[in-house]
Amino acid sequence: MNALSRRTFLVRGGCAAAGLAGASSSAAATPRTTEDSRDETLAAGASGQHAMLFDSTLCVGCRACELACNKKNDLGRTPEEVFRGRGAQDARALGPDVFTYVTFHQWEADPTTAAFGKMQCMHCIEPACVSSCPVNALHKTSEGPVVWDGSKCLGCRYCMMACPFVVPRFEWDSRNPRIRKCDMCADLLAEGQPPACVAACPTKALRTGTRAELLAEARRRIAARPRRYVHHVYGEHEAGGTNFLHLAGRPFEELGYRRNLPLRSYRDYTRPAMAAIPYAMVGLTVILGGVRWVVERRTDVARRARAARQAHDTSGGER
Amino acid sequence: MTVPSFLRTPVTRGVGMLAVLGAIGLGLIAYRFAAGLGAVTNLSDGYPWGFWIGMDVLVGIALAAGGFVMAGVVHLFGGHRFHPLARPAVLTALLGYLLFIFALSVDLGRPWNIWQALISWNHVSPMFEVSWCVTFYTFVLALEFAPVVFERFGWRTLHRWWFQSTPFAIIGFVMLFVFAMTGSPAWVLAMGGALGLWETLMRLGVMRRDHQMPILLITAGILFSTMHQSSLGTLFLITDKLGPLWYTPILPLLFFLSAVMVAPAMVIVEATLSARVVRHKAEPGLLDALGRAMPYLIVTYLLVRVSDMLGRGVVLEAMRGFWPTVWWWLEIALLLTAVALFATAEIRRRPWGLPLAAWATVLGLVVHRTGVAVVGLDVPEYPRYVPHVAEVLITVGIVSLGLLAFRIAVAVLPVYETHAMLTSPDVPTVPPLPQRELAPVSSA
Repeated sequence: MNALSRRTFLVRGGCAAAGLAGASSSAAATPRTTEDSRDETLAAGASGQHAMLFDSTLCVGCRACELACNKKNDLGRTPEEVFRGRGAQDARALGPDVFTYVTFHQWEADPTTAAFGKMQCMHCIEPACVSSCPVNALHKTSEGPVVWDGSKCLGCRYCMMACPFVVPRFEWDSRNPRIRKCDMCADLLAEGQPPACVAACPTKALRTGTRAELLAEARRRIAARPRRYVHHVYGEHEAGGTNFLHLAGRPFEELGYRRNLPLRSYRDYTRPAMAAIPYAMVGLTVILGGVRWVVERRTDVARRARAARQAHDTSGGER
Repeated sequence: MTVPSFLRTPVTRGVGMLAVLGAIGLGLIAYRFAAGLGAVTNLSDGYPWGFWIGMDVLVGIALAAGGFVMAGVVHLFGGHRFHPLARPAVLTALLGYLLFIFALSVDLGRPWNIWQALISWNHVSPMFEVSWCVTFYTFVLALEFAPVVFERFGWRTLHRWWFQSTPFAIIGFVMLFVFAMTGSPAWVLAMGGALGLWETLMRLGVMRRDHQMPILLITAGILFSTMHQSSLGTLFLITDKLGPLWYTPILPLLFFLSAVMVAPAMVIVEATLSARVVRHKAEPGLLDALGRAMPYLIVTYLLVRVSDMLGRGVVLEAMRGFWPTVWWWLEIALLLTAVALFATAEIRRRPWGLPLAAWATVLGLVVHRTGVAVVGLDVPEYPRYVPHVAEVLITVGIVSLGLLAFRIAVAVLPVYETHAMLTSPDVPTVPPLPQRELAPVSSA
């Protein structure tokens, strides 16, 4: 009964959002600029990489994924601590010892239903954190996960400034602080096993596969149950596309997801300025040299004129 | 040189105060390394950068711009009469950069890995560019300041060796820098070719050398500075936390223009301050000439700043939200005040006129940079960041140590030149090097 009312509610919400989401995804489908076509190429490159799919309509909020993540990554929290209280309902819930978090959302109109969101690293195709890291401490492996290497990290926290999903966390109270975030259990994936959270999910709300497979699966689900889902795969285009895709029955911003994210890779925002460096340096050298040359000529001419005048004056005096 | 030794000057009230503030800062820094950044800052995962990035990095580096601007004016643009102002400006810049590196290692979570920036290259990262600019420009500043030390201790062989070999080192450094930023051999060759051609023309006597300062060293200082000042703006292009009054794709250009704008103002501030503190007579004529140039620089910056906002259609943002609005209007008001003060000859003639106008310019820049790093940042999920008092005290402490270092340096080194030392390439009254070292003055 609870499930029934929940579903009817989700259908209503989904219908309301369908028009909006449909409009935005059709706009994103046709590449109009070079950035768009570049992102298409990027997405093509990522299609064979490991990816994850979260289906909010299948999630019952049991938080087995949080427990499994806590155990697998030795995050040091007791099950009581994992389950205690419900704090922030957005990316704030993540911490140096919380790599993933299931947010819980209810609406006054229908307090008997709830919906859930999953906060964690989105493993972007071209991550802002990776392109901002000065020393490649963060990097995207060719298999898909975005991982951190503590032997290189300076702790400059530029990745935290750059990440549009507010994901990387810093150990503020440590003498030897680390950048902490989900690494998609890259070690397990390398052994052919799914990430800990996916393996722990009892309702198959979480799935792994290649990005292309999961994107097709997400579209298939929306097509099969169009009234159940918001017609939008969160992560298909957000920030240039991510390896973690989300489906939901409510508008994503109501589930704690950041909305209105640009559909281009964040690296595009610094790309022009970085590309200008050699032009600026060589151009400036030529300009400085030219100015110096002109200044020299001017002083030479002035000195010669002065010398000539003096010579004239002297000879005039002799005469 | 008959500069009173620092050791013989009594510890004045000002020096004592600086020492106390410096000690407080150092104590808090020790506590920060023992207990972590969270203990002394209000930074959070939503606001990972704050007061230190704003003041120590963005403002600090901009205020050091006097070094490259004055060096360029004197040695490249023919402004030989400004020579007495160049040395203090270079010293200010060198101390500024050393302080900045120290302050940065307090802000970095894992400063012991700082050398990784030199070996683990990510040439798409603006922070990578920043780290290389800091390293290379500090080195260039040290080379620019080196002759002062050579003069003080009479190291003529070293001085000659420095003069001869610096251009080659510079060509190598700049080429390495371009390679790290682009990974493109073609650009490396273009860069090396341009600098190499210039040096060759100077050695052949087609273009003139400077008797005291290798021209390529000055050029490299300008190149690295330009890149550094603008790359600090590039840093913020990738973040979506910055509000529309500050975020613009031309932030790198704005940062460069405001750095050039603040350079003469800092020279005026620094000259009038040291005139009072170390009883060095400021050069009123030269400072007035700088002051007359200031309105053009400030107005250029303001035009770009405001027309960019018009172009992006965000002018009305300047009326929305309390603190961003106040901060934006404060910046504009300070800079307009500075223009008015600098442009009025009667005010420039008053003893307080130039310093007041210069301070207005400096504060205008401080407001813009802190707008980018603190006030303009907005992460709706998180409570707003307000600096912790310890953050402010640490910055105050580091600046105090810098002022003390400047005080000691001007006391023991020939930073303020006497008239006997004033030489221009046209009239080499006291050539620091034997004649055979010099290229032909003019072959035309």
